[in-house]
Amino acid sequence: MIRFWQKRFKEGLKTQNLWADKEMAAIKKELKSQIAKTFAGSLAIRMVDSGSCNACEAECNALSNPYYDLERLGIHFVASPRHADILLVSGVVTFNMYHHLLDAYKQLPNPKWVVTLGECALPASFAIKGPVERILSVAHHIPGCPPEPDDIIRGLLQFIRKIQ
Amino acid sequence: MRFIARFAQELSDRFEVIDLYDQKKIVTPVDKNDPILPTLTRTYPAAIWFERKIKDDFGIRFEKSFDTRPLVHHERFPNVHPMRKDFKEKIDFAPFRPYPYERIEGEGIFEVGVGPIHAGIIEPGHFHFSQEGEAILHLEVRHFYKYRGIEKMMEGLEPLQGFGIVQKISGNESIAYQIAYLSLLAQAAGVELDENVRRFNALLLELERLAHHLTDLGFIPNDAGFAPALAFCSMLAEDTRRLLKKICGHRFGFGAVRGEALEIDKSAVRDYLEQTREKLLFFQEWITQIPSLWDRLDNTGILPRHKAIKYSTVGIVAKASGVALDRRQDGWYEQFGFAPLSASKGDVAARFTLRLEEALQSCELISNLLDFSKTDTPLESFADGEYLSFTESSLGEVMLYLRIQEGKIDRFFARDPSFVNWQALHLMMPGNIIADFPLINKSCDLSYAGNDL
Repeated sequence: MIRFWQKRFKEGLKTQNLWADKEMAAIKKELKSQIAKTFAGSLAIRMVDSGSCNACEAECNALSNPYYDLERLGIHFVASPRHADILLVSGVVTFNMYHHLLDAYKQLPNPKWVVTLGECALPASFAIKGPVERILSVAHHIPGCPPEPDDIIRGLLQFIRKIQ
Repeated sequence: MRFIARFAQELSDRFEVIDLYDQKKIVTPVDKNDPILPTLTRTYPAAIWFERKIKDDFGIRFEKSFDTRPLVHHERFPNVHPMRKDFKEKIDFAPFRPYPYERIEGEGIFEVGVGPIHAGIIEPGHFHFSQEGEAILHLEVRHFYKYRGIEKMMEGLEPLQGFGIVQKISGNESIAYQIAYLSLLAQAAGVELDENVRRFNALLLELERLAHHLTDLGFIPNDAGFAPALAFCSMLAEDTRRLLKKICGHRFGFGAVRGEALEIDKSAVRDYLEQTREKLLFFQEWITQIPSLWDRLDNTGILPRHKAIKYSTVGIVAKASGVALDRRQDGWYEQFGFAPLSASKGDVAARFTLRLEEALQSCELISNLLDFSKTDTPLESFADGEYLSFTESSLGEVMLYLRIQEGKIDRFFARDPSFVNWQALHLMMPGNIIADFPLINKSCDLSYAGNDL
């Protein structure tokens, strides 16, 4: 542990994230101020995977790494749908997840929005009830397979602009 | 003999059940009018899910099996057998039939149900605990919430079209699946893959392994309450994804394995390797100096060696319990510095340490795999037949089966390493407290999507 801090002090803070990227920096700045305006500084997301390949989950997890650190913009992934403003759904809706997805959606307090993640582009199957938009009313869709962390950040900004 | 898989297929006049072991393959014809077979579950417990799946998919029954509950078909699934050739319809929800969970009865024993939707960014699956206070008495793992019908989706496609689906079976093993599928197609086309292509693919596979292990190296300590490890390792994992994007155009390598070796920026790979190796060695030294963390990892979730063998486990789970099983042990990988790794204790600490060692080994492999040039192996026409292939993904042995009939895919079967390892998870639970479940689960880090198909 001591060595860790020694190294940290010796090398100092490194700019090791995308804040150096001007476009992303501007997007994050606007996102933070929009969240401050529209969601009183705190946007809570409950993520549900209703049948993805798990790449979308990996990318959402990546949003919490120190490169992106979404929490500093006021965005939190929460454990309970009852704490959430947004239901973020990835993947297709499988036959076996259909009712569980609807249950989770019902638990969100109003006002609530559904944002979807990714294009699975799988052929039709008996075990798939369809894309999310056929089952729930979707406020915004973030495209990509899987959408990269930057795409998700951009997508969330577009979503907030849309609902104003 | 290690049991690998049991699966079925339908031919015009009969069903066939294929039992696959590490040393042989047994094909048993089954009468369509009275589909019944003796069970394997009494010798190979890992056959339980395979047989329950075959029963759901084809309606083949197994004599003397002690578990005949539906597996893939959940409470509202109608009584149909979707993998039969005459099944073409769309299905609708049937009346709710409760699922009989495994029960342990006694004074003061209670059950805790977790999932399918978990408190985090995780895939859906259900864990059913029988508890005696804090202590876990039994865990039943119930999955297939993400059942997408991948096997049926593949039927009738041209073999090359299959790639688009295979790469999305399990995102964190996408490259391994594509390599396994490419190997099937190469067999069917009767061509040998070019050495350059093999090296390029192996390089991607090791990067995928690194990305996965690095993520876990952060998440395992995080689940024991040590968050800095996650911050540190998730950055390394992100570097790996970015490198993948740079060399093959996709952070998860979708579409990267098509029988081609691409021109890549080798100096970028070398820079990455140098930095990652240095950071990993630093991490190794740092993390071993935190006694309160090892207090949680040591002796937690032990899988003894004899059970690891009995339950046919693969991957890190098997290796950490002293079963040095690795599909890379094939006479080709060794020239790049591969040697099978294993540990003996079979606890969370062993699985954690092994991941770290594998990650370091992958760095070495990649630096030795860099000697290749741009080329491709064209795959055009595919002969009818049945083909098998194996690849060591970051989770363990991926097994794929393909049957081509009249130039089209007639049957596709995938056995994800998770499919067998999930069935062994409950063995690690008794004697542990429920708060250690996430830790044990994460130390195995199994795929839900690959398992459910």
